[in-house]
Amino acid sequence: MPDRTNKDQKGPDHLFSGEHIQSIKDQYQDWFNNSLRDADRETEGKYFTHSGIPIKLIHTPADIEGMNYVEDLGFSGQAPYLRGVYPNMYRGRLFTVRQLAGLGAPEDCNERVCYLLDHGATGVSILFDMPTIRGYNSDDPEAEGNVGQCGAAVDSIWDIDAYFKDIDLGKVSSSIVTHLPSTSLVIPAMYFAVAEQRKTPLTQVAGTCQNDFIMETCIGSGYEILPPAVSFRMQCDVVEWICNNVPRWNPISYNGYNLREAGTDAVAEVGIAIANAIATAEELIKRGLKFDDFAPRLSFFWDLHNDFFEEIAKCRASRKVWYKIAKERFGAQQPKSMLMRYHVQTAGVTLPATEPLNNIARSAIQGLAAVLGGGQSLHIDSFDEAYSAPTEEAALVSLRTQQIIQAETGVCSTVDPLAGSYYVEYLTDQMVKRIFDYVEKIEGLGGLVQVVESGWLHREIANYNNKYQQKIENGETKMVGVNFMRADKAKTAPIRVFEYPETYSRQKAKLDRLRKERNDRQVQESLDLLRKKCHTTENLFPYCLEAVKKLATLGEIEELFREEFGLWAFPLL
Amino acid sequence: MDRKIKVVIAKLGLDIHWRGVYLVAQYLKEAGMDVVYLGNKFPAEIVEAAIEEDADVVGLSSLSGNHLSLGPIVVDMLREKGLHNVQVFMGGVMPPEHAKRLEKEFGIQKVYLPDTPMEEIISGISTAVKNARLTGPVSYEIKSD
Repeated sequence: MPDRTNKDQKGPDHLFSGEHIQSIKDQYQDWFNNSLRDADRETEGKYFTHSGIPIKLIHTPADIEGMNYVEDLGFSGQAPYLRGVYPNMYRGRLFTVRQLAGLGAPEDCNERVCYLLDHGATGVSILFDMPTIRGYNSDDPEAEGNVGQCGAAVDSIWDIDAYFKDIDLGKVSSSIVTHLPSTSLVIPAMYFAVAEQRKTPLTQVAGTCQNDFIMETCIGSGYEILPPAVSFRMQCDVVEWICNNVPRWNPISYNGYNLREAGTDAVAEVGIAIANAIATAEELIKRGLKFDDFAPRLSFFWDLHNDFFEEIAKCRASRKVWYKIAKERFGAQQPKSMLMRYHVQTAGVTLPATEPLNNIARSAIQGLAAVLGGGQSLHIDSFDEAYSAPTEEAALVSLRTQQIIQAETGVCSTVDPLAGSYYVEYLTDQMVKRIFDYVEKIEGLGGLVQVVESGWLHREIANYNNKYQQKIENGETKMVGVNFMRADKAKTAPIRVFEYPETYSRQKAKLDRLRKERNDRQVQESLDLLRKKCHTTENLFPYCLEAVKKLATLGEIEELFREEFGLWAFPLL
Repeated sequence: MDRKIKVVIAKLGLDIHWRGVYLVAQYLKEAGMDVVYLGNKFPAEIVEAAIEEDADVVGLSSLSGNHLSLGPIVVDMLREKGLHNVQVFMGGVMPPEHAKRLEKEFGIQKVYLPDTPMEEIISGISTAVKNARLTGPVSYEIKSD
């Protein structure tokens, strides 16, 4: 037995004692020199994870030398939360099965949402069409051709009401995928207003809105974009108001997912999202809030990409990084302020159009990794990803994949089952360090708003994409059926895409009726007041809420923002 | 020597996905073409830029469903302005039947769907421009009718 009083190895919690480690290192060297062929030895130093962490042929306790079990890993539901945010994890509550729904008009979506809920989904995730995402009404000229495509059209509170017809807003948890802070001031306001009309107290309303200024200014390009500092202010307005008024709502979902899909590795995905959380926290503290007032409601959104073990390590590492920042940097007092809760979606960017049924396998493996990483809710991408938003059959396969993971594989029976794997712990430790370094890099350049304004972040993404694409073009990154093992006659699928050409006329008719029925003077007054508030430091949310209750439309409010705040030129690179 | 192939390339309308279009722009540049990336634009602005830049090719990127509604408008507006030699290419995510319709019915030279190797896009554009330069006038004449 090793001497447990050996102080140079930090004491009894230490996983492996100094002399034990030394003997492992000696035997490893012996094995390396004598058991491997030259050709095997030459592969060493040539394997890396997707984000560039060196991989050894075999990992041993020597790779996690110095790790202290209690301090570095601990137990689920305890600091540093690396093993999971809740003590009982999936035995207590399975991850939320949350599949995206949104095509056509709100009335069409209502059918799909009810269909998914009837088949056992426990939350809904709502996608919008491009005009809604970018803040235009269905009958604005900019919306032409995009109404009801790839998501639902929402123009007014009437549409949210129709979307959630016969659904109890006090019971369902809704993820409202508003990309931009400016629309997160409006669409969640519509949702809350509908809840109020139905006499559901806001204290019971649960859900999430995305509300990430990086979505507006970096991840997606756009036709008309608000300046980063304005978008960031709106992001913080949404967080502040919702934290004070809708306690079960997550007012922000730091969008690592779309960053990754736009083009980053796993380290930057988490690093940028966390840099945004830090920036938000600093701003809200400046506004007089305490960290513990809002931190429990901040949520994150990760992409589950192909590199199986690295992705699991990323999820585990992200919890520890956030714990350390909450505790050490912001002095969090409540345990809930230190827990990183996140939603996971499998990686759409890894799903090709060729032989699309293969994507069921890809997504299932990614979904499994998401669960092994300990996520709180999951969307599994559908096999028709490269064709359209999920069709009904594809959405059902994704839902069933989640249920198979939950009910048939047994992976939910114990907490963090890969803990203690030398490889996974080594990767997790590497990810923690690299994420901290990336956050530091951003802060060294002046912080997140600054690196967006300067175009630095856009260049990071472009450089990554160039490298990634090169590897696909030259075959170094293999895509089965696409650039590797391609069939002579590679098949695409006969996927029947949903089309909703009638959405435009339905939305237009509704808007016409709305404009006729509403009280114009009241609408105008509410918009005038909002306009005035744009030039103060007051929180804009309550004024948006008032305006949508008076039947102001999404497009009207967004146009007001564009007029008052002006537009920003997306760096063209 | 032939002048460089001039490509004006845009994200169509409100579509936000810039990863693919930016990469294609880079690869075309590296292949020796003169590329102007416009960012997000609507048809009238794209056609205006094509005229200003004296473009051989207009490239349109669409990943969120406006390919059938806005793509054909770009072709029509170019032809109305008499730019018969400007070829319009598209790329993005759409059902394969839509891609076929765009090529057969709406005058899109070629639609590149996901998984297309960059080489194929580069050679497709080069060949089309070479053929157009052989068969028709390179400078554009405004039709009088």
